[in-house]
Amino acid sequence: MPVETVKETYTGKVREVVLGSGEGEVKVGGQTTMPFYTFEGDMPNKPKIAMEVYDETEEWSDWAKEPFADVIDDPPSWAKKCQDTYKTDMVTLQLRSTDPNGSNTSADDAAETTKKVLDAIDIPLIVMGSGNIEKDQEVLKKVAEVAHGKNIAIGPAQEDNYKAIAAAAMAYNHKVIAQSPVDINIAKQLNILITQLGVSADNIIMDPTTGALGYGLEYTYTIMERLRLAALQQNDDMTNMPIICDLGLETWKTKEAKVGVDEEPTWGDPKTRAITWEAVTANSLMMAGADILVMRHPEAIKLVRNIIDSLS
Amino acid sequence: MPKVTFLPDNITVEVAQGENLLRAAMAAEVHISATCGGRGVCGKCRVIVEDSEGWREGGLPSRANSKVEHDGNPQRQDPELGLISNSYGNLTEEEIQKGYRLACLCTVEGDVTVRIPVEARRGEREVLERLKEAAAYGVMLTEEDVASLVKGVTVDPAVKKVYLEVAKPDLANNADDLTRLRQAAKAAGYKELEVDFLTLTNLSEVLREQDFKVTATFLKDHHNLHLVRVEPGDTTKSNLGVAFDIGTTTLFVQLLDLNTGEALSSASDYNPQISFGEDVITRIIYSLKGDGLKKLQETATKAFMKLATEALEKAKRKSEEISLVSAAGNTTMAHLFLGVSPKNIRQEPYIPVVTHWPHIRPQEIGISNLASGSQVFMVPGRASYVGGDITAGVLASGMYNSDKLTLYIDVGTNGEIVLGNKEWLMTCACSAGPAFEGGSIKHGMRATIGAIEQVRINWEDHEPMILTIGNKPPAGLCGSGLIDSLAELFLAKVIDPRGKFHKNLETKRVREGKSGWEYVLAEKEMAATDYDITITEVDIDNLMRAKAAVYAGITTLLDNVGVGVDQVEEFFIAGGFGHYLELDKAIIIGMFPQIEGSKVKFLGNGSLMGARLAAISAEMADITHQIANKMTYLELSVDPAFMERYTAALFLPHTEVSRFPMVEKLMLQS
Ligand code: FES
Repeated sequence: MPVETVKETYTGKVREVVLGSGEGEVKVGGQTTMPFYTFEGDMPNKPKIAMEVYDETEEWSDWAKEPFADVIDDPPSWAKKCQDTYKTDMVTLQLRSTDPNGSNTSADDAAETTKKVLDAIDIPLIVMGSGNIEKDQEVLKKVAEVAHGKNIAIGPAQEDNYKAIAAAAMAYNHKVIAQSPVDINIAKQLNILITQLGVSADNIIMDPTTGALGYGLEYTYTIMERLRLAALQQNDDMTNMPIICDLGLETWKTKEAKVGVDEEPTWGDPKTRAITWEAVTANSLMMAGADILVMRHPEAIKLVRNIIDSLS
Repeated sequence: MPKVTFLPDNITVEVAQGENLLRAAMAAEVHISATCGGRGVCGKCRVIVEDSEGWREGGLPSRANSKVEHDGNPQRQDPELGLISNSYGNLTEEEIQKGYRLACLCTVEGDVTVRIPVEARRGEREVLERLKEAAAYGVMLTEEDVASLVKGVTVDPAVKKVYLEVAKPDLANNADDLTRLRQAAKAAGYKELEVDFLTLTNLSEVLREQDFKVTATFLKDHHNLHLVRVEPGDTTKSNLGVAFDIGTTTLFVQLLDLNTGEALSSASDYNPQISFGEDVITRIIYSLKGDGLKKLQETATKAFMKLATEALEKAKRKSEEISLVSAAGNTTMAHLFLGVSPKNIRQEPYIPVVTHWPHIRPQEIGISNLASGSQVFMVPGRASYVGGDITAGVLASGMYNSDKLTLYIDVGTNGEIVLGNKEWLMTCACSAGPAFEGGSIKHGMRATIGAIEQVRINWEDHEPMILTIGNKPPAGLCGSGLIDSLAELFLAKVIDPRGKFHKNLETKRVREGKSGWEYVLAEKEMAATDYDITITEVDIDNLMRAKAAVYAGITTLLDNVGVGVDQVEEFFIAGGFGHYLELDKAIIIGMFPQIEGSKVKFLGNGSLMGARLAAISAEMADITHQIANKMTYLELSVDPAFMERYTAALFLPHTEVSRFPMVEKLMLQS
């Protein structure tokens, strides 16, 4: 007897957001079904990889630096390598050095770096500040200004600084990344607040705050899944933005990705371990509904790509 | 009822004769600038009288030919006019001739049409259209209404005084004094007495003082009848009771005549225990340190005596006439009043020492000057966080005996909610904090004279229109003024849905003060204070948390029982608000779900009402035990869904605005 597949039907749709400009435009979101459930609805755009480029890599382990050894001190070349060699869909520029509790480089420096990176690539750019409430407002405003016309995404816009960051994005026609602290209500509230400022809901990307494997991944997973279900099942137009997961930074911060054999001799080869950690985290988040995966290591990316291709 | 028409909006309202014109404007949702609380000082609330019932040839009387003194005592003039100015404030003679009046100084006596001049409008405000299907205010219950809620209350207190003529002894009737007293009591229907030993020590003198005519005081306690006092002569007329509401933030007493059930006088004040901590948790912690418990108890009993004395003075009665105190308070307040350690209320599994208290002698808790043999009855509670105040409220609302599915909400410091009907009752507590009683608010105050109780904020220029209790200079904000402020700041887009100020508005009223961003409701020149009265971002935060807790509590309880808010047939709202908790304002801020005004009844102080019923009727006191036993308690602190509902409610009106269609519509207008 033939088994009939049970199918859900959804009334909602994830907003399709376009990043980048001209030839380099990339679309994310737009699906009418849960991740890879293409038998229930459409998934016009596969999850996209946005490889990280840093303006500072002081605490990195050797195996993290290895693929980028030749470009590590030059963000534009690093970005170009990601585009040309690793064929990333987008680039994420992580402005760690602007952190006032760290190197505290100026907003002007950050804008300068952004400009150079933009000049080096054709694919879309995402710029993430250090997460410092005050400093990010200043930095991202300058970044938005120099990137005018490039349709980049800037963030993270948080509850306490979303006004300045969303205003900067709006003024220079960029997308804004709304970051909520692993809380479905705050995620939605932030979207409402940002749209009330006049930003179109089609210019928002949600960052639910990513926990790496072993460090709260399950919380992020649940929140993402619920956001997606609210969008698809309840047609909620304030939770139906594409989701970005800033997982490279979170994964490579973990002990499992950082410590060497000397410290943990029974944990196996540190490089394989770190890459696996990143790939597993990315894969799980993708299953929860991530539209953009911010990732670090080319080999982890290769693993995730394989999965994307085999599922779609 | 006289009609008042406001031009140029051409909005008409009917108001009670004698209503203040500024209050009429408030009711009509017409904005008139008013910054001194309506006492004729700021001179901003000008209107021009265009037409008035009984309008006479020659226009309005001028100051010259009226009896009104410029600064003198207000005196009514010209009773034929629809509008009477009790004073002209700082208007010039010329302005008065032209028909200018200060709205806050006028009372409406007949139909009248006034125009609001441009300077008083200061920017067009779209008229906020109140939804017709929802009566804006709900129903404020009167004494009689309350009496009718609880059916079949007969005045029959647990402590009764009975006049007895005891047989004189002689050689033939040589039974002892007590036996003869018992015989007289039995003849009056009081059999099988349990005798308090203390009544015997001076019984022989008492009996003989007025020729064996005495008044005996009996206490009915479940099944037993106690003789607790014997006085010479007939003192049956002087049998007083006191109803006492022990609120975390506010204390209320009401003096009662136990023969008639009538309330003779009342008094209230802040609970002085506040200086040991604003909420129950900090007070419990204080009680654990050294002689903390003793101090807290003494503070409570002293405050009780002070308020009782005040009420006695008002009624010209004496403390020795008080034979019953009926008190209701949350569980912690009850423990502290009686000097019983509330220690375990604080920690899981949250266990109070007792919820059903035995009868207590006032002397045992340090109250000494009441009638000898007097009693303290404590209204029983249900759990650590649903106390006797709620049982009392459930009693006063009559819901325990109602066929209708009823939701009872007590918006006090602890925000308790009860759902049910005569078959079942379910309850929970959500810690709302003292914000709605003016606690933890920079310029918060109780709903007394001078408290800002109504607020409107102009959508264009963000100027306020405020009214105070008693039209006195503003001294602070009470609960209803705070709820109004929050709703108005939100609708006027002075704050965002998270309660944060928009900092780029063109108004001096929004500014960065010493304690952060704030909105100036009344400048010090207009206020009774020597500082500006403001509402700060921190205040707003506290209010947001309070309203979110109440809403999350209501929805959690409803969801647990599995009923929708539409299925609830009757809502009782209790709490120490002034006269003006505007239901739709409470809905705008998302404190209550969108409910129909016609289903809502404001009970006022439900705890005090219940305590009073239990004082005047032994049967009602018994029923409080049944109610407490019947309530099923839902512990929210272990319900993860509550926390999530709370975060969702920390937004104006709510993260899911679609739950508040009325607010959604208003937001589109604004
Ligand atoms: S003079 Fe009327 S409100 Fe101030």
